[in-house]
Amino acid sequence: MELQLGLALPTPPPFDTNGSCSSSSSSSGGGGGTKKRRCFDAESRVGVVPKTLHLLVWNTDRSDDGDEPRDLDDNSFSSVVLNEEEGLVGWPPVKAWRKKPRRHNGRPNNNRTAAPMNSCGGCRASNSTYVKVKLEGNAIARKIDLSVHHSFESLTATLMTMFDISDEHQQKSFKLAYQDRDGDWLLAEDVPWRTFIRSLKCIKLIRSRSC
Amino acid sequence: MQKKVACSFPDEVLEHVFSFIQSDKDRNAVSMVCKSWYEIERWCRRKIFIGNCYAVSPRMVIRRFPKVRSIELKGKPHFADFNLVPDGWGGYVLPWIAEMAGAYPWLEEIRLKRMVVTDECLELIAKSFKNFKVLVLFSCEGFSTDGLAAIAASCMNLRELDLRDSDVDDLGGHWLSHFPETYTSLVSLNSSCLGSDEVSLSALERLVGRCTNLRTLRLNRAVPLDKIANILGRAPQLVDFGTGTYGADLQSDVFSSLAGAFSSCKELRSLSGFWDVVPAYLPAIYPVCSRLTSLNLSYVTIQSPDLVKLLRHCPSLQRLLVLDYIEDSGLEALSSSCKDLQELRVFPSDPFGEEPNVSLTEQGLVSVCLACPKLQSVLYFCRRMSNVALVTIAQNCPNLTRFRLCIIEPRTADFLTLEPLDVGFGAIVEHCKDLRRLSLSGLLTDRVFEYIGRYAKKLEMLSVAFAGESDLGLHHVLSGCESLRKLEIRDCPFGDKALLANAAKLETMRSLWMSSCAVSFGACKLLGQKMPRLNVEVIDESGPPDSRPDSCPVDKLYIYRSVAGPRFDMPPFVWTMDEDSALQVS
Repeated sequence: MELQLGLALPTPPPFDTNGSCSSSSSSSGGGGGTKKRRCFDAESRVGVVPKTLHLLVWNTDRSDDGDEPRDLDDNSFSSVVLNEEEGLVGWPPVKAWRKKPRRHNGRPNNNRTAAPMNSCGGCRASNSTYVKVKLEGNAIARKIDLSVHHSFESLTATLMTMFDISDEHQQKSFKLAYQDRDGDWLLAEDVPWRTFIRSLKCIKLIRSRSC
Repeated sequence: MQKKVACSFPDEVLEHVFSFIQSDKDRNAVSMVCKSWYEIERWCRRKIFIGNCYAVSPRMVIRRFPKVRSIELKGKPHFADFNLVPDGWGGYVLPWIAEMAGAYPWLEEIRLKRMVVTDECLELIAKSFKNFKVLVLFSCEGFSTDGLAAIAASCMNLRELDLRDSDVDDLGGHWLSHFPETYTSLVSLNSSCLGSDEVSLSALERLVGRCTNLRTLRLNRAVPLDKIANILGRAPQLVDFGTGTYGADLQSDVFSSLAGAFSSCKELRSLSGFWDVVPAYLPAIYPVCSRLTSLNLSYVTIQSPDLVKLLRHCPSLQRLLVLDYIEDSGLEALSSSCKDLQELRVFPSDPFGEEPNVSLTEQGLVSVCLACPKLQSVLYFCRRMSNVALVTIAQNCPNLTRFRLCIIEPRTADFLTLEPLDVGFGAIVEHCKDLRRLSLSGLLTDRVFEYIGRYAKKLEMLSVAFAGESDLGLHHVLSGCESLRKLEIRDCPFGDKALLANAAKLETMRSLWMSSCAVSFGACKLLGQKMPRLNVEVIDESGPPDSRPDSCPVDKLYIYRSVAGPRFDMPPFVWTMDEDSALQVS
């Protein structure tokens, strides 16, 4: 197949590319029959091929590509992406439920068979990664998205910014505490990140002297 | 020097003339007439639409258009709706809100689609824009009802709050009580996507009661059926109503007050919601059915005869969304009852099932197309199709502007002839000369793309999956579709050649998405290097693409034109190919 870059362009194209037809016979016509890849028509022109583009030349070993439409299943480049739980990812194209870990409600995500594309599921229980965070001495609770954090450092840094604690000395005077599912208050520094993430209900920044 | 006549009008006159020109295209044309018109136009442009939030930066927009009152932004690519775009990809609106907070104190309207909105954004909106009126968050995510509470509490002039399809962290309905008792301006509220079981019914009822201009009210599933009558009773002027749960044990007093409430709504034209429908309660809406123009039954899991009974009462219907429980027989009935139908969407009740669970085939769609001459927009999920059916559809509905067909099993051939569906879709593009949006499915060779390139001159958006045989297919589309703006492709054997040969075409489009195709990393680098006004982004969650040979295909590719250069908020699994990308010669 010979193609010139930017056939419809008024300005000259920055580079040309060409490849060769792996088979010169034209289509045998009709649907369902054997189809050889057609050479592009006379509008195209062989251009100069920069050396680097040889990396991109069609691999002519795969000359069976276009023969039988059903053989497409064998070709690696059109291999179907299989998600083991669901089959094809994103197919059929119905708007899918988000699969973020749940934080606030213990209610299970009602798995309805109908997942219409156009409407959002009102049955979807709260299933995001937001947790409430309070600063000791401050009445107003804030919310933070835990899914973007993977370490205590990044979490603490964000919390400091959120509560406008820019002074380093002040920053050191706070400790990160959390309430777990049983209602107990614990110090985050005592547990590994994964334990923290899995068991916390809400977070509090407390002043060191009170612990 | 004597000024030409056109420029001798005072600026105020021209501004007044321009105020009658609302469409973006016309405004853009006006701004290109001459320098003075450019200047006058930019100072009086009030409404901006930005189809890709990364195509331009907030500063650039503000610099050119200092007096904007209404902005619409879109973020993630469409395939994000189907989980093809990993979480954290981008589409953050905060930088925009932060800049606009300072530059547009009089901003009234923000409409966002597929963007990440945080509570912080909502709080910033609430405190920055004193005359804020319209907030539409379409398929957005990242915020909770606490952010909505901030909006409710501060925006005294709020007219419209529409959260359609957004993923909201619903902490319960108490946010509704943050609307002050003195607040009465609400015209439109769509909270149907909220997922919590708790909702503050009394706050809702009071809000509805005091907002006498309320025209659109879409409730969420938590609102029980027996409360609808009370709510409707306070808002008989409603035009668009979405119920909550529409099921309960049948009680005659509940039924009669429900029917009474519906009959007092003389302006009602659109109904939606209907979760957990109990068929016995459907007749309560019959009083309004004759005037209904839009009906969304996409949550209604009842069988065809009950659906047909309802639809027979709706002769004025123009828009119907329904599950495939309606079956071919129901669509046949629809086609005889609803001659004014313009839009039909049929969703799959069991999309992941191996075998068909309902008797819905291509026949249903054909019968509607034969009988409803005004049909313009179709979205249809089914399990079999034939070329002859598609040709019939094409010949009988030449006014189609949107045609999206999803045959559930990939690469399904014409069930009658076992041939590809090239000829059928070819007929669609040949006969439907105003077709703007097309989604393909079934068994398709390069030939269908030849037809599309030749005939689909007005096509703006094309979605392709599991189709084609070679780069020629992609080349036909890129070289032939003059109006193409958005192209999204998955699992097709399209590689480097067509993409590189048509690189310049990409600058005339908004965006191109290709996933599970055959485009190599080397081609991506080359494109990024040679086309500075394109952002070429490779998405690959399995690791850096440059740890593999250049000839390896990339997992996902998103290319879009931009005057803002590469973005800086990319997550670790997105790589941008810019001018500095060095090509490896192996």
